[in-house]
Amino acid sequence: MINNKTYDVVIVGSGISGAVMAKTLTQAGKTVLLLEAGLTAGISLDRNGDYQNYVDYLNTFYIASAKVPNSPYPNIKDAPSIDVLDMQPISGPNSPSTSGYLVQAGPLPFASDCLRGPGGTTLHWLGSTPRMLPNDFKMKTLYGQGVDWPISYEDLMPYYEMAELEIGVSGNVNDIHWPEASNKQEQVELTNKFYGKDYVFPMEEIPTSYIDGVFTKLVAEVNTKNPVKVSGKDTKIKFSTTPQGRNSVPNKQYPYRDITWDSKTKKLVLQKDKYWCPETKEVVDSPLDEKYEYLPVGATWDPNTGQRCEGNASCVPICPVQAKYNALKTLYKSDRHKITIKTQSVASRILYDEKTGQVTGVEYKTYHTADSITYDTNIAKGKIYVLAASAIENAKILLASNAANSSDQVGRNLMDHLCLLTWGLLPEKGFPFRGPGSTTNMSSFRDGDFRKEHAAWICPIDNWGWGWPVFSPGSDLSNALAKNMFGKELRDQLADTLPKQLLLHYECEQLPEPDNRVTIDPAYRDQIGNYRPVIHYDASDYMKKAFETAKNINNQLFKATGTQDFTFYSPTLTADYVGYQEQGYNFWGAGHIVGTHRMGASKKDSVVNKDSRTWDHDNLYLVGCGNMPTLGTSNPTLTMTALTFKAAEAILKQLEK
Amino acid sequence: MESNKKSADIFLDISVFLTGFNKMELLGTGMLETYFNVVMNMNNVASVESFLAESEKILIKNQGNEEKINNEILHKLMPDSLYNGLAKNIITMWYMGNWMNTVISPQSYVQGLIWGVAETHPPGAKQPGYASWSTAPKTVQ
Ligand SMILES: Cc1cc2nc3c(=O)[nH]c(=O)nc-3n(C[C@H](O)[C@H](O)[C@H](O)COP(=O)(O)OP(=O)(O)OC[C@H]3O[C@@H](n4cnc5c(N)ncnc54)[C@H](O)[C@@H]3O)c2cc1C
Ligand code: SF4
Repeated sequence: MINNKTYDVVIVGSGISGAVMAKTLTQAGKTVLLLEAGLTAGISLDRNGDYQNYVDYLNTFYIASAKVPNSPYPNIKDAPSIDVLDMQPISGPNSPSTSGYLVQAGPLPFASDCLRGPGGTTLHWLGSTPRMLPNDFKMKTLYGQGVDWPISYEDLMPYYEMAELEIGVSGNVNDIHWPEASNKQEQVELTNKFYGKDYVFPMEEIPTSYIDGVFTKLVAEVNTKNPVKVSGKDTKIKFSTTPQGRNSVPNKQYPYRDITWDSKTKKLVLQKDKYWCPETKEVVDSPLDEKYEYLPVGATWDPNTGQRCEGNASCVPICPVQAKYNALKTLYKSDRHKITIKTQSVASRILYDEKTGQVTGVEYKTYHTADSITYDTNIAKGKIYVLAASAIENAKILLASNAANSSDQVGRNLMDHLCLLTWGLLPEKGFPFRGPGSTTNMSSFRDGDFRKEHAAWICPIDNWGWGWPVFSPGSDLSNALAKNMFGKELRDQLADTLPKQLLLHYECEQLPEPDNRVTIDPAYRDQIGNYRPVIHYDASDYMKKAFETAKNINNQLFKATGTQDFTFYSPTLTADYVGYQEQGYNFWGAGHIVGTHRMGASKKDSVVNKDSRTWDHDNLYLVGCGNMPTLGTSNPTLTMTALTFKAAEAILKQLEK
Repeated sequence: MESNKKSADIFLDISVFLTGFNKMELLGTGMLETYFNVVMNMNNVASVESFLAESEKILIKNQGNEEKINNEILHKLMPDSLYNGLAKNIITMWYMGNWMNTVISPQSYVQGLIWGVAETHPPGAKQPGYASWSTAPKTVQ
């Protein structure tokens, strides 16, 4: 069956990248068809239905025995999600692990997941939103590693500001530490240069956790009395507070209220005294007598819920009050008269004219009910097409279509932050298991000449005890029971130790490597005949050397702060276990799935140009973290959202040519 | 009914010694009935009955002598070889809201005793409010 309506733009996926597209394009008056693979129940334009569905997610989370990122959300056989619970060791070169949606060919299993469902992965993301550092865009030039970006940090600055408004970032610009600053003045100068002199985030900084205070104080003493030695040199450890997409108190100095399309200049503009009015569907002036103050965006079912983070401490996998940003908040701001949403509709292929390269349609399969084996196949038509199905899925759809791949880079350069976790008991109680997942990070090793030798990292202080590596507090209970503890002795033992738990994660920047990649194989398909992604993945010595260095620094820090080390690594702890210089290390995935259709300056070695348009197809754009040529040490979504605004601008320009 | 009520009382009394929480605290979770039913329904009845009979004996014989009660619990209830590990499963149920590896209900998760012991709240429920995490928990202030 062919649906013959032609939209201005067809978008695949309703995650943050698809939602930002849909909102920006429809508010600029363009018609959009949004294809979403997940269940219809997950997108409800009626508030009551929206709330009921969210309560179902929450109850599913409560009863999940393993509260992993995807645990609250349905996993549908017609559009399966990658799930960390499916991760297994890979036994040999030709025996991939196939227990989950991914076919893991190894040698190491890829350790991150994402959510295929309305709203996408931001439903379960943590919400940390640091910008990348200016040097991250020039890895090849500065450090001889990876590649340079085709754009600079400065090029991206206005779009970063748009992303920070859209997500609703809370933070303190003056508390972001620059690794290269050697004194206060340099610190201030760099902030002024790279954020603008008076720039502030939409909301004040989220209060840092009590455990942040305990640990950073201990480290400050170490810095003065007994500094950590790195390559024989005394090194002071610095911390930054983490900007994040969760609601706090509005910053009265924040001036922007909306992002609008200006047809005349052909630019997206951050507006101070104009905004797009949902009633009149046009850009209007703010009332003259109104003193503007940023208004936190609350829950999708009730704007008054989630106006502030309430400290539920469950941001991953679900924020009960939606104080944390998720993409549905953006999607619901779309002009509802201009957007058509088709759910349970899984894009399978891009169709294009072999001669001109013009994309002529997206083939998609609409399944009837969850897990059903019956479906209809349709073709969606638009002037322009946008894939926003997340990094692995975008690459897979392109490979299945034999599209956009003249560079042979589609699917390659798959990256993640490889997280080396360390855990111990603080000498005093820090009271973890409270508040947002992380509020402060160790930022000293985000940049430096060492990047010639090994990966840089950011190291968040975790606010949730040892939950991630060893499933605390449940495991602490079972360990105590294994020793036959019970009664008051058991209670006292847990009460004494749980509040002292400290967890750090050294999130190391993986470089783009051609053999870390997504491929397809006709032998592996899902229930409705779509390809399952086949993943080839490994950790190079550049990563392992970072593990060694980070662990060495960590050991010194634990010792000097009196933190009793409980870290252990073993092949049974996680399937990602690597050896380096006679030491074993486990690493964990960060959920930062990046790089599978990278952006570049040349058609020869990249898939999209700096506007996210594919080199091979004039009317096909790709959005999402797959565009990022390198990863830096920032959580990627803010940067990706900035790139998405830039892409939306390019699309509007192309449509209005 | 009578005997069931009596069994539930013994279950509560022995739970006090197994968990280290007093009767009021356990009743305060509102989970007693649910947990008692889980114990009765998810296990071999004869085994549960003898567990409760043994518990009653220990409690009556050593009434008022906590040390003796604990010593007998250690040897007569706690070993994994006895009653299919029922004592430890009961403790886990009160602390985590789980029976074996399954969460009994959304409510049981929320009522897990472990969160209070860790001086926090169950993640995703009973939220303590904006900025609460930036100071020590109220219980110790
Ligand atoms: C546990 C965890 C924590 C994270 N924390 C952070 C963090 O703190 N900070 C940060 O910056 N990033 C974080 N991330 C990463 C972040 O969530 C992602 O970068 C971001 O959500 C990606 O957005 P997206 O729109 O590109 O893709 P997604 O959000 O994954 O959305 C893709 C959408 O496409 C749909 N779709 C997929 N396939 C098809 C198809 N074939 N047809 C139709 N629709 C399809 C999906 O259903 C979904 O709606 C985290 C990730 C995880 C897993
Ligand atoms: S701490 Fe709680 S309220 Fe705040 S964002 Fe996380 S889950 Fe939401």
